[in-house]
Amino acid sequence: MQQIDLARAVFLFLPLFLLGLLALPGRAVLRTVAALALAAVVAWLLPQVFERGALTYLASFSTMAGIYAILSLGLNSQWGLAGHVNFGVAGFYAVGAFTSALFTTTMPEGALAAYSQQAFGLQWPFLGGVIMGGIIAAIVGFLISIPVLRLRTDFLAIATLGIAEVIRFIFQNERWLANGPQPMRGIPRPFDCLFKDPACSWLPQGAVDFLAPLSPRDYVFFYLIVVSLILAVVFIALERISRSPWGRMLRAVRDEEASAAMNGKNVTWRRIESFVVGSFIMGVGGAVYAHYVVSIDYSHFNPLFATFIVWVMLMLGGSGSNKGAILGAFVVWGVWSGAAFMIDAASPALQLISPDLPSRGAYLRWMLVAIMLGLIVLYRPQGVIKERKKVSDFMSDKGDASGEGDDATAEQPARQ
Amino acid sequence: MALLEVRNVTAGYGDTEILRDVSMKVGEGEMVTIIGPNGAGKSTVMKTIFGLLHPREGSVHFSGEDISSLQPYQIVERGMCYVPQVSNIFTDLTVSENLEMGAFLAKKADIAARKERIYEYFPRLKERRHQRAGKMSGGERQMVAMGSALMLNPKLVLMDEPSAGLSPKMVGVIFEQIEKINKAGPAILIVEQNAQLSLQLSDRGYVLASGENRFEGTGQGLLKDPEVGRLYLGG
Amino acid sequence: MSMHDAAADAARHARSDDRTSGERIMAALRSRTALAIALALTLVAFWLLGYGQGASLSNLLSLTIWGVMLGGIIALGAIGLTLVYGVLKFPNFAHGELVSFGAYGTFTIMALLPASAALRPFSFGWELLVGMVLAMPLVALAALIVDRILFRPLRLRDASLVLFAMASLAASFFLRSVIYLAWGADFMFYYPGRANPALELPLNIRIQADQLFVFLLAAVLVGVTWILLARTRMGKAMRATANNPDLAQVRGINTERVIAATWALGASLAVAGGVMYGLASQLRPEMGWFLLLPMFAAVIMGGIGSPLGAIVGAIIIGIAQQVSSSFINPAYGPGVAFVLMIIVLILQPQGLFGQSGD
Repeated sequence: MQQIDLARAVFLFLPLFLLGLLALPGRAVLRTVAALALAAVVAWLLPQVFERGALTYLASFSTMAGIYAILSLGLNSQWGLAGHVNFGVAGFYAVGAFTSALFTTTMPEGALAAYSQQAFGLQWPFLGGVIMGGIIAAIVGFLISIPVLRLRTDFLAIATLGIAEVIRFIFQNERWLANGPQPMRGIPRPFDCLFKDPACSWLPQGAVDFLAPLSPRDYVFFYLIVVSLILAVVFIALERISRSPWGRMLRAVRDEEASAAMNGKNVTWRRIESFVVGSFIMGVGGAVYAHYVVSIDYSHFNPLFATFIVWVMLMLGGSGSNKGAILGAFVVWGVWSGAAFMIDAASPALQLISPDLPSRGAYLRWMLVAIMLGLIVLYRPQGVIKERKKVSDFMSDKGDASGEGDDATAEQPARQ
Repeated sequence: MALLEVRNVTAGYGDTEILRDVSMKVGEGEMVTIIGPNGAGKSTVMKTIFGLLHPREGSVHFSGEDISSLQPYQIVERGMCYVPQVSNIFTDLTVSENLEMGAFLAKKADIAARKERIYEYFPRLKERRHQRAGKMSGGERQMVAMGSALMLNPKLVLMDEPSAGLSPKMVGVIFEQIEKINKAGPAILIVEQNAQLSLQLSDRGYVLASGENRFEGTGQGLLKDPEVGRLYLGG
Repeated sequence: MSMHDAAADAARHARSDDRTSGERIMAALRSRTALAIALALTLVAFWLLGYGQGASLSNLLSLTIWGVMLGGIIALGAIGLTLVYGVLKFPNFAHGELVSFGAYGTFTIMALLPASAALRPFSFGWELLVGMVLAMPLVALAALIVDRILFRPLRLRDASLVLFAMASLAASFFLRSVIYLAWGADFMFYYPGRANPALELPLNIRIQADQLFVFLLAAVLVGVTWILLARTRMGKAMRATANNPDLAQVRGINTERVIAATWALGASLAVAGGVMYGLASQLRPEMGWFLLLPMFAAVIMGGIGSPLGAIVGAIIIGIAQQVSSSFINPAYGPGVAFVLMIIVLILQPQGLFGQSGD
């Protein structure tokens, strides 16, 4: 095995380990050992099975799917846990992305300032930007929830759709804020010096030598670790929350609002809190996205691939289930990405139907995702994984293996 | 042969069974009252007869035909009408439009004549025919609801607590009308809280408790029955 | 509700019951009045802001008239949206796509018709109007097919409102993908490059003849719809079903037929809205989606299920959008609609003409 492949394998180890922990059944200790062993084997095998370009593609695919999984988890904490219909995921996603970008970039100066404007640039570190992205998105979520959450769910759906559109208009039109219709560029990638020459000054010589064969194009292998860790933190936090008294209360409010209210729970506040938590997570997702793609503009946050597709992911995975939310993100992103190849391959056939069709082939993907959601709504509205009855940490979930069997498929899209 | 026959009906919502083995009959032109404590399943009987809920066991027969699996609009076609207890008028429509909606299945040409007949029962409605029904008082709303149900000249009218929420004076007026309607032809099956008054006017009555038949008899007979009186008439 | 609550002690408290219902009506009036005042104040504030930014009076007057015209377009979409919302009880996120389909469908039908000279002073010829009329049944059919495949099974299953909303979102993206695939993403015009000069009117008001036509057609169609709803039996059944679907069933109304009629009417009006919108600006696949937010704002402002409310709401929103362009970026038009909608939701979620529950 060449050094470059070995280095890539090392980077793949941690995400694979986390995936193993998520997907494998069994008790904690055993699962950890199994996941460690399996991750090591798979990480070693992957660079040998796939050629380098394909492996890079796989890593970037998983990174994007991981970012969508964060959004899907955020939506699950609103819809699955509390029954909020948020049709404006894109808005919170955009706020997180632009906020983190503003906090971490450098204010353009001199000639640059003439064609690139932004409200401020604070050069904060990556993590600071991500947290600020979450906080500002949470504040937006809080502000919208006050007038709307006390109303019927359909009003919330319409209002959140509206807020997402308005947020997109703002980022599209306000040049001073985040460069308006032009992309906001130069969003820093954390530790990207690892892949540069000369490498980071603080890095020991051994590590520098080890990473030497990797080029900046391989940065995605490192970012996959970042995304996996953040995803893991969000997942664990949500699992804790949904088993806590607070989570139980929210589910009670979702299912029987009247009786929960009569039991003396402050229903409105609980609902606002869960909406704010979800908004925070979506903001974090946006921030993670911004630092991955480096350059963002308003068009990245349109209703199709920032709201609609996230709903399809969550509905497919099964609302109420955090594992399902992650599984759904990988499957749907796999279908979405795979469809691009298929449409390319089918382009001669499309040419026969109409000469215009191949150039419009991208919209076949829209159609595909729309049909997917339609089918889910009609035939599997409860999703692939059903919500488990989580009572509390003190009661075991054993005996309900329905979730475990389906989880095994979570690896499939990542490996294809 | 009875006009309406409920044969050993068991019915309920979801997992809960509300009616168990309930049987009752209404003859042509009869007025029959169902009384019973809250939660006895009185409204559920009405809904099951009218096809809003389908029996799990047993059957409902109307004019000799099994109507257990029909939809409400098909039952209306066969000559039965229902006056629900709450939200029984179209609040956004005028009084006259409400009456027309009661005769959705009738020929267009007949509607004016049918309306006139209802205005004879309830002259008050004629005065207010162009008013939005939602703006009327409780008693007037009840008249609109009953009037709409009578538009098709039904053979049987089901009434769910027509006196609920009305002033004592209005209760008297409404029951006078019910008596008048009954005399003019249609049989009436009525669920009533105001058991004394309703039983007095009724040919027969049923006492329902915990979803089962308890007593049945003539209206006067039930009023005089000491046990019914003690348990269900608060006397 | 009021009757039910009062049932227990009605006899003794008959009088106080009357008073509370009277008070309730007063309270409803008060908050409805409050909403009307708040909306009026917002419009006045917009005019003053525009004036403060240096817009001339005749300019503001022109903007207001354009706003009424835009309101007419929004109203054509909003009436269908509010009827479907009222009768089927869910927010139909695919309604904007019916508008787009109307615009594009007319475009394609026009290409098949012989081109005629422009009907001066308007910029369009007969084929636009004929195309529009022919597109109406086609789009109505498309709406009925979507209902049959998607919404009817949900209805039979008594699915939750959220699933309906989700299904309509799926329908929205599906229909939009069809538009992209069939007509492409480029902007199109009914009459590219045809001149459409403004009329010379007193007070220096600048309006194009086409804009005037858009407004007149909207007014005529709104009038026809009004007659349909107020005079025909199916129209009354539609209003009745929107008002109280359970009772409609009890009264012997065949609700499936009413639902089909509602889709047909809503889709036909949406076609007219789409053609007028396309004539006033241009055709693009997202045109319906951009109208969706103003349409929902109009529906909520007017009260869900109330066609009259939708018309009034649409005109208020149209004026607000146009007048606001004198002091903020016109791109924020849908944002202005959104802000007005939030004001309604805070003050009086039932809207100006909505039912106060019963």
